[in-house]
Amino acid sequence: MPSSELAVEVEGLQKRFGQVTALRGLDLRVPVGQVTGFLGPNGSGKTTTIRILLGLLRADGGKATLLGGDPWIDAVRLHRSIAYVPGDVTLWPNLTGGEAIDILCRLSGPLEGDRKKLMLERFDLDPSKKARTYSKGNRQKVALVAALASRAPLLLLDEPTSGLDPIMEAAFTKSIREVKAEGRSVLLSSHIFAEVERLADRVAIIREGVTVESGSIAELRHLTRTQVTVLLDGGADGLTALPGVHDVATSDGHVTFAVDDDQLPAVLTAVARLNPRSLVANPPSLEELFLRHYRDELAALGNGAEK
Amino acid sequence: MTAAQAPVPQAASAVAPVAVDRPPADGLAGLGTMVRLVVRRNRVRLTVWFVVIVGLFAYVGDYYKGLFTTQQALDDFAKLSDTPGIKALTGLAAAPATLGGAVWTKIWMTCALTLALGVVFLVTRNGRADEELGRSELLRSRMLGLHAYSVASWLVTTVLCVAIGLFVALASVGLGLDPAGAGTTGSWVVGASVTGIGLFGVGVGALAGQVASTSRGANSLASIIIVACYVLRLVGDLGNGTLTWVSPIGWGQQMAPWGGNRWWPFALLVALTAVLLAVAWVAEARRDHGAGLLPQPAGKADAPQRYATPLGLAVRLQRGPIIGWTLAVVLSALLLGSVVKQMTDLLADAGANVSTIMHGTGVAALLGLMAGLIALIVAVFAIQSATQLRADEASGILEPQLAGALSRSRWALERLLIPTVGGAALLALGGGLLGIGYGATIGDASQGPRIAGAALTYWPAVMVLTGLAVLMFGYLPRVAIPVTWGVVAAVWIVMLIGDALHLPGWVLEVLPFSATPILPAERMTWTPLIIMTAAAAILTWAGLARFTRRDVQPG
Repeated sequence: MPSSELAVEVEGLQKRFGQVTALRGLDLRVPVGQVTGFLGPNGSGKTTTIRILLGLLRADGGKATLLGGDPWIDAVRLHRSIAYVPGDVTLWPNLTGGEAIDILCRLSGPLEGDRKKLMLERFDLDPSKKARTYSKGNRQKVALVAALASRAPLLLLDEPTSGLDPIMEAAFTKSIREVKAEGRSVLLSSHIFAEVERLADRVAIIREGVTVESGSIAELRHLTRTQVTVLLDGGADGLTALPGVHDVATSDGHVTFAVDDDQLPAVLTAVARLNPRSLVANPPSLEELFLRHYRDELAALGNGAEK
Repeated sequence: MTAAQAPVPQAASAVAPVAVDRPPADGLAGLGTMVRLVVRRNRVRLTVWFVVIVGLFAYVGDYYKGLFTTQQALDDFAKLSDTPGIKALTGLAAAPATLGGAVWTKIWMTCALTLALGVVFLVTRNGRADEELGRSELLRSRMLGLHAYSVASWLVTTVLCVAIGLFVALASVGLGLDPAGAGTTGSWVVGASVTGIGLFGVGVGALAGQVASTSRGANSLASIIIVACYVLRLVGDLGNGTLTWVSPIGWGQQMAPWGGNRWWPFALLVALTAVLLAVAWVAEARRDHGAGLLPQPAGKADAPQRYATPLGLAVRLQRGPIIGWTLAVVLSALLLGSVVKQMTDLLADAGANVSTIMHGTGVAALLGLMAGLIALIVAVFAIQSATQLRADEASGILEPQLAGALSRSRWALERLLIPTVGGAALLALGGGLLGIGYGATIGDASQGPRIAGAALTYWPAVMVLTGLAVLMFGYLPRVAIPVTWGVVAAVWIVMLIGDALHLPGWVLEVLPFSATPILPAERMTWTPLIIMTAAAAILTWAGLARFTRRDVQPG
């Protein structure tokens, strides 16, 4: 993919805070016009990466390019084209939410009153209240309205829906789809799998400051197995021996197993010969992809959290 | 037995609205844990305040004991101290010609004011600041009484005041500041008077923390009250003494150690503190968590265009402090200006020694001293405004602004226009009003611009301190605010008692405020002003250069 088609390109990014190494060679690509999910548990380096992309932190090593510029040197110029939603929104306690939105919007470009009004209505936010009286969800809405009211070509969203109720999450989903339809790019950091699965074209999964998996969601699914459940009268004999079949379990005639995706046609042919009365096949969820990379941490939790 | 069959419990009546009028039960539950928390969180601060205040007193006591070995020397010092300038700054000791009295004249006001302001900051830090930041919400979700945290911080600061007073008294007894054969009563009175002023600070801090809804507001309100009390007694000490009795700081003075040795003003101070704390207690029970006493009206849904510039936004955000400090400067200038005339008569009687103390004779020297006092208030305003750079970075509010198309240097430079231009404007305003107040009594309209000019010569000194704040912000962001105030306090203390610290003369001369020519008493010299302006520019440039190259570090 040529660089000009990437809104964000990060290679081998490193960052240390004293003795602690936050990023140890992180890679991340956000193609123009796509939503890129940025998944990782708390403390894995998502926020540090975004703060480097904003020019708030200086990288110790590696390369970061944002809309073709250097996020540290060209910060001011680049920020005209960026809308940012922090994960933990701090506002001026004695200003109203509406005032904060206007200030943030004008710092990046002209304020479009009608778009602000539209987003205020969509997110059901009262802009005349002082920020100190807002709940966490309402503070989050202020940052979201300010970001979504702009026409910035790139949105950097750091866990943008934390504290929002399900209705507001739906409003958020709708807004991001509009952003994508307008050909703008989004980096969506999150640990909510369903949200990323619903919105993202591509995903980067990071762990302890390193990217462990990245690609389109379709590509990543090929790396794993499809979960199949069949109802067999005659038992599951013979399935276990097939190549690519794992974790066979039977209860009440329901046989469940996982299949490597490249072996799926052969296995389904074999299953068809067993006369199944019903068959359900699920693609792997993002959550499973994600958990695969954290298996040893889950194992450390003990108590059979993982087999 | 099912719930339906159970008799209606008595508690059901508690649902009635009348219950809200009752104070919450167990308001002090968890007090012991809170006391331990307050001590643990503030152990460094408590130690520093204790060591600085007791150390100051003991150091000056020890130095004066070595300096004044004869009664003749003490008599000379008493004569030297009996001037409007000394009376204005510190008040005159009740027994100025005793060793204890000399030490009192030199250092008592500094110790008492430092303690009062120190406990205000401590009370705010544990009260309003934690509430504003949401920390006490977590505490209150546990089995913690409504008043437990506040009362714990009042208790700990009260113990600090008592300990400081006790050790000041012990230092005084140990150094033998009492006159021979007079017992140690004077030493105990002086200790108690310091404690009494400290307790007043606890009360003011506690009440300010209930009235204001932000920690900055609480600190500003309480500081302004204490400064106002200082100015009241200043005017009283210069006049017939009535206003001294209006000011609680005056009550501390009127305990008159080694003179009248009065105990009952101490009882007044304790009673006033009790009243202030009681009002704070009631206010805390009546208001909502996180709110001040004043209700929050709905605001505007849109911001004016100017808020999108760092300067416009900063002016809006610092509106309260700007108004507050302007009022403080205006009131101080009017009060000071009104007493100059009365003092000219006193000055006519003063001896030749006055000229050495006051850098000249007559009204000119007095006006110069007052312009310096106004400059001091302006300096505190400028530094408070400059330290907001770090405060905004620490709170995280800076990040969304820098995520916009705003460079760090433009953000910081526009913000610094407030201390820079605002400082100059306040100096001119304060000096001008001082001159007008004095000019009105002698029928000379030219005094306004003349004294405004005198006050403005302090602008480079104010800028050096502001530049220092910016340097700290750039290089030591995490400790910038306390270090900046610490350095400012150190500069102030060195100016007050530099002679007692055996510091070489050039060190004292080079401090920003001493290096400024004292107009209208002295001749105008441009060299120190140019050097200080250049130094301020270099400090600011260095701090900003560092800030634009380092990580943004939220607190």
